[in-house]
Amino acid sequence: MAKKTEIAPPETWVDRYGDYLYGFAMSRLRNPDAAHDCVQDTFLAAIKALDRFDGSRDIKFWLRGIMRNKIVDQIRRSVKENKVDIQAEDEALIESFWFKYSGIATTNPDPWQFNPRKHYDNSEFWVIFDRCIQQVKEPARQAFILRVLEDLSTEEVCKVMNISSNYLWVLLHRARSQLKTLIEANWTGSDAK
Amino acid sequence: MPNNPFMLTCKQVSEALAHKNYSELPRLKRWALLLHVKLCPICGKFNQQIMRSQEMFSRYKDQESSGLHSEHNLERASKEQLKKQLQQAMEAQSKQQAPER
Repeated sequence: MAKKTEIAPPETWVDRYGDYLYGFAMSRLRNPDAAHDCVQDTFLAAIKALDRFDGSRDIKFWLRGIMRNKIVDQIRRSVKENKVDIQAEDEALIESFWFKYSGIATTNPDPWQFNPRKHYDNSEFWVIFDRCIQQVKEPARQAFILRVLEDLSTEEVCKVMNISSNYLWVLLHRARSQLKTLIEANWTGSDAK
Repeated sequence: MPNNPFMLTCKQVSEALAHKNYSELPRLKRWALLLHVKLCPICGKFNQQIMRSQEMFSRYKDQESSGLHSEHNLERASKEQLKKQLQQAMEAQSKQQAPER
C-alpha cells in the first residue's frame, strides 16, 4: 500500500506552491494575468476536491495535475475562438513524397549549430529554452504544449485542437524547427556561433 | 512491409516516434529503431534529430518539475490576493460541509 504523505494545509499553499505553479502557467500562457488566474483556478478547484486527494504523492504534483486540466481548457477555448486553419505550405508537406512514404519532412535537416546536450546541466540553458518556447508561433506552440509539455496523446490533442493527426505532426515539426532556430539565436554560451 | 520485427520501414520508425518518446518504447523496438536510424540514408538524420529533441524536452520537463529554472514568480500583492481567496474558499467549503442543525 502506498505510504501516505502529510498534506500541507491549504493556507500554506500560496507560499509553498504559488511560484512553482505560476512558472508552469507562464511557460504555457505567456500572459501574467492569465497565469495568475490559472493558479487561482487551480487552488480553488483543489479546495473543492481536497477530500478526494488520497495523500499517496506529494500534493504539489496533485495541484500540478489540476493545473494541467486548466491549461488544456484554456487552449481549447482559445482554439474555438481562433480556429486552426491549415496553411498551404503545411498541406504541401502532408502531400509531399517524403512525408507520405517515410514520415519525414526532409532527408537532410540542418544540423544543430552547437551540441545542446553539453548544456543540460546548466540552468541558464533552460531559462533560455523556456523563453524560446514562449516565442514559438501559434498554433504550433499550442500543439507543442499539449502533446509534449502536458503529455496528452496524439488523439487527445487532435480532439482538443480539432485537427488531423497528420496536421498535428506538421505542427510539432514546425514547433521543433522554430525552437531549434530560436535556441541557436538566443544561446550565448561559450560554443554559440 | 517486412515480417522481421528487427527490420523496420522508415514510415514505421517515424510513426513510432510520433506516438511515443524513444525512451518509452519497448527495449527490442528501441534497439531496432536505433539500428535503423543509424544506418538509414533516408530518414536517419531527420529521425535522429527527433530523438535528440525528445531527450531535450524530457530534460526540460525534469527541470520544470523540480522548479529550478523558472524566472517567473508571483508578485507579493498577487500572493496576498490569492491567500484571501483561498481563505474565503475554505470558509465556504467548511460551511457547506457542516452538518445542518
